[in-house]
Amino acid sequence: MDFIANGFVQAFHLLFTADEETMVILVTTLRLTALSMALILALGLPMGFALGYFTFPGKRALCTVTDTLLALPTVVIGLLVYAFISRRGLLGDWELLFTVEGMAIGQVILGTPIVAAYTASAVEGLDSRLRQTLLTLGASGAKLAAVSLWEARFMILTAALTALGRIVGEVGSAMMLGGNIKWHTRTITTAITLETGKGDFALGIALGVILILISLLLNISLSFLRRRTQN
Amino acid sequence: MTPLYELHDLKQSYRKETLTLDISELSIRSDGITGLVGPNGSGKSTLLKVLSFLMPYDSGTLLYRGEPTAGRESAIRREVTYLLQNSFLLSRSVYENVAFGLKLRRTEPSEVKDRVCESLARVGLDPAEFASRQWYQLSGGEVQRAALAARLALRPRVLLLDEPTANVDEASAQLIMAAAVTEAEEHGTAVIVATHDMPWLYEMSAEIIGLYRGRVTAGAENILQGGWKPEGGHMIRSFPGGQTVYAERTEADAGRAAALDPSDVRVALSRPQQTGSVNIAAGHVVHLTLERGRNSVLVTADVGGSFLKARVPEGDPLCRELYPQREVFFIFPYSSVRWL
Repeated sequence: MDFIANGFVQAFHLLFTADEETMVILVTTLRLTALSMALILALGLPMGFALGYFTFPGKRALCTVTDTLLALPTVVIGLLVYAFISRRGLLGDWELLFTVEGMAIGQVILGTPIVAAYTASAVEGLDSRLRQTLLTLGASGAKLAAVSLWEARFMILTAALTALGRIVGEVGSAMMLGGNIKWHTRTITTAITLETGKGDFALGIALGVILILISLLLNISLSFLRRRTQN
Repeated sequence: MTPLYELHDLKQSYRKETLTLDISELSIRSDGITGLVGPNGSGKSTLLKVLSFLMPYDSGTLLYRGEPTAGRESAIRREVTYLLQNSFLLSRSVYENVAFGLKLRRTEPSEVKDRVCESLARVGLDPAEFASRQWYQLSGGEVQRAALAARLALRPRVLLLDEPTANVDEASAQLIMAAAVTEAEEHGTAVIVATHDMPWLYEMSAEIIGLYRGRVTAGAENILQGGWKPEGGHMIRSFPGGQTVYAERTEADAGRAAALDPSDVRVALSRPQQTGSVNIAAGHVVHLTLERGRNSVLVTADVGGSFLKARVPEGDPLCRELYPQREVFFIFPYSSVRWL
């Protein structure tokens, strides 16, 4: 079992000496995550608000579809997006395959249903007096929506953190759409998969430590938000 | 003076099934306090929501200050504000709650601060103590007062209050009602209030509108509900203790509930001779209310366990002889008992 202990020693060495390859993987992961999260929130929040706030024919069916998408396997997403953005695909001319942007498409499909479903649930659960209060104070339209979302902010932040946790630890679609290209589209999870396969535990464990730290940070944030919500 | 609201053939139903409002004609004055009275489920809250444009109506016409309202709801909502029975505060500080509507109206920041402090003081919340408190750090009465402050800060033309003191402590209730009176008398705001605080309402309101099952009803102060039986050519209702009230029987009578306008009831201190189709009900005075808007005194008496009201002109010498527990006789013709 010495190789595991050695792996940890090497991992901290790579981290504290700011090893170039490790840093590039880390930066690529952060770029991909930031881009994906921006798109996920831009799409998921309005979708979730509309699902939770309005009543329209087919709403239940749409909610069921959104809930089903929560459990979509990442490799299936990778496969579908691959089919669209590969040379032969509908979006082939955009040359998105094996780029960070291409990988972001998969992650957006993965994360948007999470934000939408949680937001819808949060908005549905808002106090029914909120709308009347806002209207009677003079709010309408976009302001009404923005304040309603703000009132549900702790639940929505939980949704965002859950989506972040899902995409940051995702490997299936990132591997298929990014190709795990060194210095280019290699992320923490795809690198761990590769390095473990090669028997290079040091880099794998170093990246694993970073991933665990991110997970820890998310959990601490969630606990903090839960306490705020209980207030 | 143009009425504040005019309603013609206005109908509103719940899920297009149960008719909750059915008002053929109603005018609401543009000054002072207007009271809405009626039993639970009579449509008071629904009417207030329609008047504040929070709830659409199915058919009919609603005029606001003489003009049709269709398509102008958002603009009118800037003049009309509504306080819910159980008010809701946004999850932010008291200051931010009260300032919310002002910021929406792009009020100057310095003015926002002044108006927030002024409004909080008017509802008895010391700005220095309460402005920085979070929404969850208030009692029920303080929540209601902070919510009222948020409405007062807007300096509305119309303030609609739905049972504002139903779920608050006595001190908060007095502060809320005092603030409503100040708003009407000093700021010229038209206040329309639904409340069960009848003595306050009769004393402070310029006009009272009675509602029963969604309809405007004269005499909603005295609703004689249930227990009616046909007897001969009349309907009769017995009170515990053996007293009875007669009403004329008509083809259309539902026999379920009837209203008796207090203005149709004469008060006597000794039992008069029974003549013709006139009811004489003996009771004891339980409450006397000076109706400032009508220049009259509303006499509430306990008649066999039910409270009946009669109206006596303020200048009537009889007023000087009325006091709680005094035996009185309410006299009203059979025809004044109207079926609802």
